[in-house]
Amino acid sequence: MSAFPFISNFQGDFLLQLVVSDVNANMDEVAESAAYHSVGRRVAPQPGKIVRVRKAGEADFFPRQLKVADSGLKPMDCLEFIFANPE
Amino acid sequence: MAILERSEWYDVARDTNWTPSYVKEEELFPDQMTGGLGVSRDKWKSYDEPYKTSYPEYVKIQREKDSAAYSVKAALDRSQMIETADPGWASILKSHYGAIALGEYAAMSAEARMARFGMAPGMRNMATFGMMDENRHAQLQLYFPHEHCSKDRQFDWAQKAYHTNEWAAIAARHAFDDLFLSRDATSIAVMLTFAFETGFTNMQFLGLAADAAEAGDYTFSSLISSIQTDESRHAQIGGPALQVLIENGKKEEAERLVYMGIARAWRIFGVLTGPAMDYYTPLSHRKQSFKEFMQEWIVGQFERSLIELGLDLPWYWDQMIAEFDYQHHAYHLGVWFWRPTVWWNPAAGVTPDDRDWLEEKYPGWNDTFGKCWDVIIDNILAGRHEKTLPETLPIVCNMSQLPICAIPGNGWNVRDYPAEYQGRTYHFNSEIDRWVFQQDPVRYRDHMSIVDRMLAGLIQPPDLGGALKYMNIAPGECGEDAHKYAWAEAYRANPYAKKAA
Repeated sequence: MSAFPFISNFQGDFLLQLVVSDVNANMDEVAESAAYHSVGRRVAPQPGKIVRVRKAGEADFFPRQLKVADSGLKPMDCLEFIFANPE
Repeated sequence: MAILERSEWYDVARDTNWTPSYVKEEELFPDQMTGGLGVSRDKWKSYDEPYKTSYPEYVKIQREKDSAAYSVKAALDRSQMIETADPGWASILKSHYGAIALGEYAAMSAEARMARFGMAPGMRNMATFGMMDENRHAQLQLYFPHEHCSKDRQFDWAQKAYHTNEWAAIAARHAFDDLFLSRDATSIAVMLTFAFETGFTNMQFLGLAADAAEAGDYTFSSLISSIQTDESRHAQIGGPALQVLIENGKKEEAERLVYMGIARAWRIFGVLTGPAMDYYTPLSHRKQSFKEFMQEWIVGQFERSLIELGLDLPWYWDQMIAEFDYQHHAYHLGVWFWRPTVWWNPAAGVTPDDRDWLEEKYPGWNDTFGKCWDVIIDNILAGRHEKTLPETLPIVCNMSQLPICAIPGNGWNVRDYPAEYQGRTYHFNSEIDRWVFQQDPVRYRDHMSIVDRMLAGLIQPPDLGGALKYMNIAPGECGEDAHKYAWAEAYRANPYAKKAA
């Protein structure tokens, strides 16, 4: 276990938040950590959708199973979390 | 013996310039303290303060003002106004006193610096009176809330806020330290008196006094009016200082100080006055929206002043005006959601009638901020109160120290504005905040935001409980919903439907 703090910018929410995940977590798990602090608090759930992760300002999402440790991300990078249709 | 008219002796009496013989002039008025930007003392002689007064006149008027304010307080002490007013009004008072009272002491130090190191005799003379003004304001705004402490501990934060690491107190300290406590005399004249006081507090205090009278709080109304009349006098220190700078080829430097001052003051104003006007003030007492107030009084005032002085509008002017549509709504949502971390009880201000008003004043509010409030209202009605409370910290701006936030819902435009400096990444709320940092990174680089402190292990345990302890918020002082969620009941039978356009 090694903590991975990041900045969560969650689609539809009004602010950036400090969220902590793990360097061994994959992107779906990172998205779950971010959703915990936004969805159902200020962002309505979107049934049938999944949440994808990308680095702030970039167009492409990370692969869902990619681990943080293999992603090139640094602690406190700003990540965007976007609702998407499952492939 | 006949007494001379003031105009016959004033210029002689206030001309306290002399030629030093024991020390060099640059030792008596070092650049670091005067901020004279190389404009000689001789050139500063043209400084002409628009408001002239003498010490006996000052004392006579101030004595009358103090007597009036304290008399109104004494006469209404038993009125129980605070106990019977809408809880939103008490929240306005608590947030105001905590954020402002000791800031007035800081302003007193700043005025004292101008009184000693001002380049022009007239500036030093006015600042001497300004220094005494600010001392009076601090004393008044510490004394008036004190009577409520026995009934409501949150009022104690008038004394306490600046001595804590509560996040809003950090934000206020950071801004006021930067704008005036740690600046040279000329910068103080521009950033405190011109940018902050002429532009913001003078106008805000006029509005606040009127709002207090409207709410039936005549004690606070007379207090704020008393302070505002001082502000309108000593706020005039900056204008003639800018004139001297411009006439001596320092227009660019003068503009830079003005732009930084306005940028920083706008954030404080947005978080304090925006929620107070558009959410905490009961709908029946709202005369104009925060945006209308800003456009009519602040934008108009600044544009006139800057044009009269021959200064250009700030590069970010349009962007700042665009922020009037959303920034304070985002700050309000943040303060309400993180309510255990503030010393007042935020009023949600989002009943169905409030939402109709917000939609009228800010078209699109329901599709943006309303989307977040819809989720919050569902949780309140379902009894899921834990979902209406935070379990982490917002990322705060490394300049304003306020949450980085913008438009949610269908207009989602939240983003980080990062900057790298000497291996550290700083995060900002906008291009404007980042630009202020870039003007003098050495000045700002070492400050740690509340989030930086959490990551550095200064907040233990690193959760909300640890954060409340770090912020010195004691049980009984934590903010909670001002109306104990009663406002949400209106939605139980009738889910909100937007009024037809």
